[in-house]
Amino acid sequence: MNGLLTKVLINYPYLVAVLLFTIGTFTVLTHPNLFKKLLGINIMESAIFLMFVASGNIRGGVAPIRGTTNAEAVYINPLPSALMLTGIVVSVSVTAFALALIMRLYKAYGTTDLRRIAARRKEVISDDHLDQG
Amino acid sequence: MTTLIRANLPVLVVIAPLFVAFILPPLARRIRLVEALALLGAVLGLGGAGYLASIVLTQQENPFIYQLGGWPAPWGIELVAGSLGVFFLLVVGVSVPVLLFAQGNLAAEVGGAERVTRFYVLYLLLVGAMAGMAVTNDMFNVYVLVEVATLSCCGLVSARRYPRAAEAAFTYLILATLGSALVLGGIGLIYLITGHLNMGFAAQELSRVWLARPHVVLMAVSLIVVGFGVKAALFPLHVWLPDAHSTAPSPASAILSGLAVKGYLICLVKFLYGVFGPTLLQEFAVHRILTLLGGVGIITGSILALTQEELKRRLAYSTVAQVGYLILGFGLLNVTGLAGALFYLASHAVIKATLFLAAGAMLAATGKRNVRDLAGVGRKMPITMAAFTIGSLGLIGLPLFSGFIGKWYLLLGSWEAGLILPAVAILAGSVLCAAYLLPVIRAAYFAPAPEEDWPDPGRPQKLALLLLAAAVVILGVRPGPFLELAQKAAAELLAFY
Repeated sequence: MNGLLTKVLINYPYLVAVLLFTIGTFTVLTHPNLFKKLLGINIMESAIFLMFVASGNIRGGVAPIRGTTNAEAVYINPLPSALMLTGIVVSVSVTAFALALIMRLYKAYGTTDLRRIAARRKEVISDDHLDQG
Repeated sequence: MTTLIRANLPVLVVIAPLFVAFILPPLARRIRLVEALALLGAVLGLGGAGYLASIVLTQQENPFIYQLGGWPAPWGIELVAGSLGVFFLLVVGVSVPVLLFAQGNLAAEVGGAERVTRFYVLYLLLVGAMAGMAVTNDMFNVYVLVEVATLSCCGLVSARRYPRAAEAAFTYLILATLGSALVLGGIGLIYLITGHLNMGFAAQELSRVWLARPHVVLMAVSLIVVGFGVKAALFPLHVWLPDAHSTAPSPASAILSGLAVKGYLICLVKFLYGVFGPTLLQEFAVHRILTLLGGVGIITGSILALTQEELKRRLAYSTVAQVGYLILGFGLLNVTGLAGALFYLASHAVIKATLFLAAGAMLAATGKRNVRDLAGVGRKMPITMAAFTIGSLGLIGLPLFSGFIGKWYLLLGSWEAGLILPAVAILAGSVLCAAYLLPVIRAAYFAPAPEEDWPDPGRPQKLALLLLAAAVVILGVRPGPFLELAQKAAAELLAFY
């Protein structure tokens, strides 16, 4: 048991990642506010990024740049960090798009609360065939 | 020149639509040119796919492996056009008739020229991403392509300027991002224990290390199945689909229901069979879970479709049911079943595109959304309704239509696997499908028509509908190379089982 606990504590970045992931998913699925949902998504993605970056890290390792360190140096794996750069770009574009959608919803319904949107849907769309930019 | 094109074919089929997509925005003032170019982009993609298919089918090179930038795997990124890749590339060709349908027809649904141009940009991005999913052999590439596809799908859903579309797009965006985060987590876990992102190398390494780390592998499988399940509307993760697919403009509904969902399923197949492999699936009983979810999805999706009054919503729920067939086939774990599921995937892509486009044409002409208000539409819009009828018969699975062959192989597959319940679900799904589609046809042809004038759509729209309907029949009468490709792909995926 003690061994397991030490293992978990040594790998604390993963523990944090799991915690963040749970918080994020919980927020996304339970919160009625659109902004909170978006925040939840971002927290959840950060958790994944953390897991990736932690997987490339070696304690005491150095950045893998040739010619700057001595031969015995331990290099960290740069690939996961590079991948997560792409992941962050994706996450930013998702956030931007979601914010644009929230703006449109706010203009139409005057609220960012999903429950109120559901209640006002009938008043706003009298004839849901017509465009209501 | 031709040798250059041939040598770079796998990357060209992905790049052609993407390239055309990004030259469209500055041309927004000349909407005819934009439409022609968009169509050209999709046709180029399909042409490349056809050429690639001829290379792979004639065994000149199978699989056709392309190393991006000339770096060999595992350091570089590979594109692999094997039987499965080529098969799905041909399915992506459904985007061509759908684009043809959109010609000159979008402004009414979407708005001014600039919005129409944006629609085409998103559409071509989606097509490019789908083509990429067909040929990619790198797990992180899959994630990036999935995100490109997701964002363009959400854009397409929100293309109409009414609030409910934005609402559907937001729900879709949040759930789809949740799904891709799960998939990325799964990829991360595989990378953690194998050190590879290339699917082939990861699979080799995984078969060595999985016994030492079964929990990590189990976690990775679950994350990936649930992640793609959300994106592909696998029951019970389908909640976003009906709103998103029924509020989108008609060509978008057709491409989302017909193609986008399939791209994620192809990725799922690549992960399940190309990375984890059948032995691992069996070890964790993933195949049983898939078959169960598929079967329940068929029945529930069909019953939900039966209760919908609105035609487009009925078709959207029907997609949930049809995804059930594919997932069921993936879980049968034999060549017949998997080949049936793959063929059914192609068949459903064509059929659902036909149905959604025909429903869209009827909606545009009549302004009526509900099934019972469409009485007599068959006599007023003969070509549209003929296409809808052919599509419906195909979806029900009558012989001589494409759906029949897929369902037949799925039935044989579940027989081979010694399972009775999936077979029952397949047959019950067909009966339910007849129950929710035949009333539409009966009302259209045999109910008294109102006085109003409902014309058939314009010439490109009619041509698109006829092409798709013809494809349904041709795939049913002479499945030839398509079925062969599906069987080959299934045999290759299960080769080490």
